[in-house]
Amino acid sequence: MSGARINRCLEHNVSVVVGSVNGAGEPSTCRALALTSEDGLSTLTVYVPVSTSRDTIANVATTGRLTVVATHPLDHHSVQLKGKAATARLAREDEASVVSRGFDGFAELLNRIGIPPRVTNAVTRWPAFAIEMRVEEIYDQTPGPKAGIRLK
Amino acid sequence: MRLSDLSRCFQGIIPSVIATCDAGGTPNIAYLSQVYLIDERHVALSRQFFNKTQRNLDENPLACLEMVDPLTFQAYRLRLTFLRSEKSGPLFDQMSMRIEAIAAHTGMTGIFKLIGSDIFEVRSVEKVEGFLTAAPAESPGDAPTLDGRRSEVRGLQWVSDRINRACDLESLLAAVLQALQEYFYFSHTIVLLYDEIAGRLVTIASRGYGQSGVGAEVEIGQGLIGTVARERRLLRFKNLDSDLRYSRTIRRESSETGCAEIPLPGLSDPQSVMAIPLTVGNRLVGVLVAEDRDPVRFSEWHEAYLEIIGNQIALGIARMIDRAAEEAEAAEPDPATRPLAPPTTAHAPVQTGKMAATKQHTLIYYKNDDAIFVDGEYLIRNIPARILWKLLEESQRTGRTEFSNREVRLDESLGLPPVKDNFESRLILLRHRLREKCPDLQIVSTARGRFSLQKNATIDMIER
Repeated sequence: MSGARINRCLEHNVSVVVGSVNGAGEPSTCRALALTSEDGLSTLTVYVPVSTSRDTIANVATTGRLTVVATHPLDHHSVQLKGKAATARLAREDEASVVSRGFDGFAELLNRIGIPPRVTNAVTRWPAFAIEMRVEEIYDQTPGPKAGIRLK
Repeated sequence: MRLSDLSRCFQGIIPSVIATCDAGGTPNIAYLSQVYLIDERHVALSRQFFNKTQRNLDENPLACLEMVDPLTFQAYRLRLTFLRSEKSGPLFDQMSMRIEAIAAHTGMTGIFKLIGSDIFEVRSVEKVEGFLTAAPAESPGDAPTLDGRRSEVRGLQWVSDRINRACDLESLLAAVLQALQEYFYFSHTIVLLYDEIAGRLVTIASRGYGQSGVGAEVEIGQGLIGTVARERRLLRFKNLDSDLRYSRTIRRESSETGCAEIPLPGLSDPQSVMAIPLTVGNRLVGVLVAEDRDPVRFSEWHEAYLEIIGNQIALGIARMIDRAAEEAEAAEPDPATRPLAPPTTAHAPVQTGKMAATKQHTLIYYKNDDAIFVDGEYLIRNIPARILWKLLEESQRTGRTEFSNREVRLDESLGLPPVKDNFESRLILLRHRLREKCPDLQIVSTARGRFSLQKNATIDMIER
């Protein structure tokens, strides 16, 4: 998989899910709103709704282990990024546009496959936590024979 | 909160997400195409490949599953503990059949298969509070259950009544498909009957398609319909996989290249399909298929209820087929019921008919293929083809246009079985195909067990 294909996970129309784990080994999921990286995925920032991320934020504080999966709803192209969370903070007002752009693009794609804006408009987007993560491993998660292959 | 209250989440329309964790404490996320509800405390996932999720579960059985209701978009979290992986038994068979049906339909038989059914205990179910700011506006199709309950008894009563009142197989099939549209809003339906001699399913009636597709055949075990027939089990698909739609598009494209196959009727873009086996005891009568563009058109309620309706339909069809055979057997022979004459080899044009024949059609019977073509286009094959050829030969030889079911049945050269010969269904098939491909040549019922061959054209018969 080329770097360009890896970077598709940063496009503004992907489905983003965060996985975390507590001290007892109990994993947890949380649907995220947007994903950004300023340094070619050495680090990333993932945005999760404050209202649904209580377990995730608690897990970040205790174990710090984090997994982020970005998937294109139409072609199922998918990348899994694993690493250690550096910080979790409340997203700033100037980051609201990043969250909106990310989720609006995703909602637009969902509309194309039959899930209308009537439904996606109801999803809570703000306020959000911004979790900053150092990426240690990247895996191809696209369904098929290469699923699970480490890319970085 | 009960798992059964989340039935829409289990339809696989929005893929669910599972989080697991390895012994070193690193989480892993995977999307799931389908989660199976076993009971209020257990769910199952299909294992088709060995992957990171399975390796993690072997190290740490705890998992978190997130599901989304496709109508309300409400998310739910299930805390799970992996119990075991089953490689046989009723649950495995049910999950495997579904995967095999998709595989058969997409040419992936043997490659795309179930390795195991992973069973999980559900420790807790919680609504993800705060996921939605407000409930989305009601969807127009958001009341299937209420609607279903209103129609339940009346629908069953109506279908039973129509089956009982039907005077022949053709009217029975038409009434059943009409009932399914009126009471269940199933706008696109097909009935295929099992031809025991050929060992195939043959389309005998359809509703809601431009081309009826009557005569289209499906091998037992082929695709979704053939799998339902082989396994004698109902299959319901929602949000059809893109592979399945892709495969169907390819097949549809292929069928337009002029081959001698009748394309099976079908929507180009179905989102839901339900196929119900029609059985009486162990006897396979046929398969009823319904499809729709709405991904959540068919619910669990339909599945359970339509199995009852399917039994009613199967009994009605079987009774009609058996009754026709018994009546033919018991009927007193009359001058018109002598067996048809042996075939002749040279054919003069057939010109008899009620109306003046001004048009001309050429029918070619290919003996090796057991198939008749009309004006270069495929018409019909096997027993219905032999029946038509016999009638045309008899008409040419004697000038007769009136026939009885009995005299045709007595003709051993047609290869009809001595019992349960499905003669009526073969005649329906022939009648439909003539209506679609050669309207100038018609078989018209004149009385119970009698019909006439009506020609409005000169028919040239060629045998090769």
